[in-house]
Amino acid sequence: MASTLRLYLTCIRNTLEAAMCLQNFPCQEVERHNKPEVELKTSPELLLNPVLICRNEAEKCLIETSINSIRISLKVKQADELENILAKKFLRFLSMRAEAFQVLRRKPVQGYDISFLITNYHCEELQKQKLIDFIVQFMEDIDKEISELKMSVSTRGRLVATEFLKQF
Amino acid sequence: MASFERASPALKEILLRIYNAEKPIEVDHHLYEFGSVEYHIKSSVSEPQVTYLSISTPFLSQGVFLSYGLSPFTLKMVRQISTDVLHIVEPANDGYQLTLRLDFSKLPHNKESLNIITEVSSVQAVILSSQLKEMLQNVNSGDSSQGMYKPIKLIYHPKEPFYVIRQELIDVVSLKKWAKVPPCNWSPIPPLELRGEPFEDLSTNGGFVSFDISSHHVEGKRLDKIVWSLLNFYAYVKHHVKCTRGFIQRRMRRGLDNLIEVLEKSRVEDGQIKKVQGWKKMRKMVASKSKMIKRRWGDLGKKIKRIRFRIKIHGFARFRRRWLKMPSFSSSTGYTKLQTNGNNN
Repeated sequence: MASTLRLYLTCIRNTLEAAMCLQNFPCQEVERHNKPEVELKTSPELLLNPVLICRNEAEKCLIETSINSIRISLKVKQADELENILAKKFLRFLSMRAEAFQVLRRKPVQGYDISFLITNYHCEELQKQKLIDFIVQFMEDIDKEISELKMSVSTRGRLVATEFLKQF
Repeated sequence: MASFERASPALKEILLRIYNAEKPIEVDHHLYEFGSVEYHIKSSVSEPQVTYLSISTPFLSQGVFLSYGLSPFTLKMVRQISTDVLHIVEPANDGYQLTLRLDFSKLPHNKESLNIITEVSSVQAVILSSQLKEMLQNVNSGDSSQGMYKPIKLIYHPKEPFYVIRQELIDVVSLKKWAKVPPCNWSPIPPLELRGEPFEDLSTNGGFVSFDISSHHVEGKRLDKIVWSLLNFYAYVKHHVKCTRGFIQRRMRRGLDNLIEVLEKSRVEDGQIKKVQGWKKMRKMVASKSKMIKRRWGDLGKKIKRIRFRIKIHGFARFRRRWLKMPSFSSSTGYTKLQTNGNNN
C-alpha cells in the first residue's frame, strides 16, 4: 500500500514541477487587471490541458494550469462514514483559515475535498521546490491526521462505553 | 456516575448554611433548576430547628400522574431518606407536589449530618428514580404473559424522551466479564415497537439505543444504580460528545500550525537575490534614466552657451566639442550618428 502512495505522490510531484512555470500576465479582457486565468477560463489560448492523476476511485488529484496560475484539487481517501465526517470537518476547518496558507482556496472545486490556487506572485514570494514539497507533504499529513483522529475517536468511544457499563 | 451527582449543589449549600448558622435566621428562598424543577426553602426565627422544603418537579411519565399527587411508592422512597429528620407534610403547599418538614434537632452531631443533608438535597432524583424503579420492579413480577405492551414515554429532561417497552426477552449469553450488563444495541431507525409514536418524538440524527433490562438486573441494590444510570444516559453521552468535539478541534488546530510552519520555510529569504519582475519595468527604468541625463546635460549645455556669448576663449571650441557634448546611448530602435571632423572656429 505504501508503494502505491509513493508512486502517486511522485507522479504528482513531477507533474507539478513541469506545470509550475508561471509568469505575470495581465488580463486580456479588462485593462489594468491581473487575474488568475485558470479561475476565469475566458481565454482558451492561455490554458494548458488539465491533468488528472488517480490513485484509485476514491483518491485523485486534478492539476489545471494556465499562463499565470495553477489550481490543484485533491480528493482524499474516505473509507467509512466516520472518516468521511472527520475529513469533511478537518478540511473545512483548514479552508476557513485559507488566509493563513495563502495558496489555499476557500472553497474546493466541485467533486473534490480541497483545492489550492497558486499564482505567479506566490512563485515569486515562495521557493518553487519548497512549495511543491509543501503540497506533497500536505497530502501525506492529511491522510495521517485523519487516521489518527479516527483512532482517537474510536478509542474514546470505547473507553466511555466501558465506563458507563461498569456502573451496572 | 461520579460526574452526575444526585444532590442539588445549590439546595445542599442553603441547607448547610441554615444548619450551621450560629443563631436562627429567616429564610424564604426560591430555587430553580434545569428550567422545570422548583424548590422553596422556608425557615423562620420562631421555629429555629425546623425548615420547610417544597419541591415541584415534572413527572417522568405524564400518563401515570395521579390526581392525589405522588404515588405511595414514591412517598415511601422519600421517607426512607431519613425517618427521623424528614416528615412529609400533607397536603403539600400550593403549586408544589411535595412539602417536607426538616427537623435539624434530630440530626446527629457528627459527619453523619452532612450525609443526611446530602441525601435530603437529592430528593428530586429520588422522586424521579422511584417512578422508573416502580416500572422496572414489575419486570420481576413476571407479568409479561401477554407479550408486548404499549411503550411508555418518559421525559427526564425536556426534549429528551425515552421509552420503556415491556416484552419477553431472550437472555443472550455474553462474555463472563459483561454478564451483569444489560445487552444494548444501536440502530439508525426507530425500533419496531416505537413505530406508532408521534413523529416529533422519533426525529433524531443520533439513532436509537436500546437496553434489554431483565429481572436479574433489577435485583436488590442494583435497581437504584441501574435507574440512575439509565436516567442520566443522555446527559452522559452529550457530555462526552462535547468533550470529543473539543479534542478534535484542538488536534485540528495543532495540525494547522504544523502545516503553516512547513509553508513558512518555503519563503524567499531577504539575503537571496530577488528576481526581476518582468522585462517591461527594466526598459522603463533605462528609458527614464537616459531622459534624466539628457535633461541635465541639456541644462548644462545651455548654461555654457550663454557664457560663450559673453567670453571668447581661444581653443575652447575644440574643448567644448570633445568634453562638453551630451553622451549618446545606443538603443535597439535608434542608431548612432557618425561624427564629422569640422573646424568651427
